[in-house]
Amino acid sequence: MTKRKDKDARARAREARLAEQREAAERERRQRLVRLGAAVLFVAVIAVVALIALSGGGEGGDETIEGASAVDRELEGIDQSGTVLGDPDAPVTVREFADLQCPVCASFSEQEIPDVIDRAVRSGDARLEYVNFPILGEDSEVAARAALAAAEQDRMWQFTEIFYANQGFENSGYVTDEFLTGVAEAAGLDVEAWDEARQDPALDDQIAEAQAEAARLGFDGTPSMVVLGPGGEENLGTPSSARQVLAAIESAS
Amino acid sequence: MPSEGALRNAGAGLALLGTGIAAYIAIAEAGGGAPACVGGSTGCATVAASPYADVVGSVNVSELGVAGYLMLFGAALVRGDPGRFAGAALALIGLGYTIYLNYVEFFVIEAVCQWCVASAVTITALFAVSVARLVLYGGRDEAR
Repeated sequence: MTKRKDKDARARAREARLAEQREAAERERRQRLVRLGAAVLFVAVIAVVALIALSGGGEGGDETIEGASAVDRELEGIDQSGTVLGDPDAPVTVREFADLQCPVCASFSEQEIPDVIDRAVRSGDARLEYVNFPILGEDSEVAARAALAAAEQDRMWQFTEIFYANQGFENSGYVTDEFLTGVAEAAGLDVEAWDEARQDPALDDQIAEAQAEAARLGFDGTPSMVVLGPGGEENLGTPSSARQVLAAIESAS
Repeated sequence: MPSEGALRNAGAGLALLGTGIAAYIAIAEAGGGAPACVGGSTGCATVAASPYADVVGSVNVSELGVAGYLMLFGAALVRGDPGRFAGAALALIGLGYTIYLNYVEFFVIEAVCQWCVASAVTITALFAVSVARLVLYGGRDEAR
């Protein structure tokens, strides 16, 4: 009887010891987990803060003006008169309504317009007219006036293309006098004459005319295009590709 | 309770999905373009053209995403605490940065890129899986 009691007591003691060991192991695991969790959190917070600090917000437009030589190559040897690029007697006119702050306009100008220039403008089949249609706010109007002042020196296409190449984020405040002057210099303008011209209130009338024309055509976004020629008028709305514009030029010829 | 193997498999699958999404955005933006948004939305083009699309210099956020998802895939393959730690840390970094990017998208750029939203959903699921793996199995030897 006594032997059996001793055996039971030893078994209970062993179980208690094992339970204690399991509890200690679990306690140790929890402590290790807390240390791991704290390390994870620490590393993650540092990394996220660093990533946010390195992100591009707030940049744009305040760096050196770039892209002038590429624009010069693109437009080399093509006539310009005011806001029109190409042969003034070309049978077809492509009117592009655009806002200089609009990122889609910049993208279209960089990716699609060069094809239109190479295939239709250089050949004399069409001329391109850039219609300043500021819709994104006051900075867009300031930029439009600056572009129209560049048109008075028949170098508006250099101005708009270089502007696009250095475009910042819309309404982030990058359209400063310093930025516009930098673009004007890179476009090869007589900066003093340009600076005086862009103060002319008559430019506001040109912008108002463009807005009225856009309303007539039903445009409320940019870029929007209309193609006019002997074959009629084709309203493209916002075209998706150079191919679409070239097809409209062919139809209007 | 899901087994650690199931959590690792789910983590690897989600990381591959995220890699695919980020790689598509990176390829679409590599030539100066933007990923195609469903329904003719211009949100993807607006986001791609914003200065927030790049991290440092010309490193695109999507390229960073490809690298991050591949590292998460690697962490899902690694057994034990190193894999659990790396997975949870990377997923937390990804989630934190994604929250920031989504804030910028909605309140600063005011445009929504559907691919970015898809990536945000993926990293959120990856975070849940990685944290579950760390909390449930952290500090334990992994059964083979």
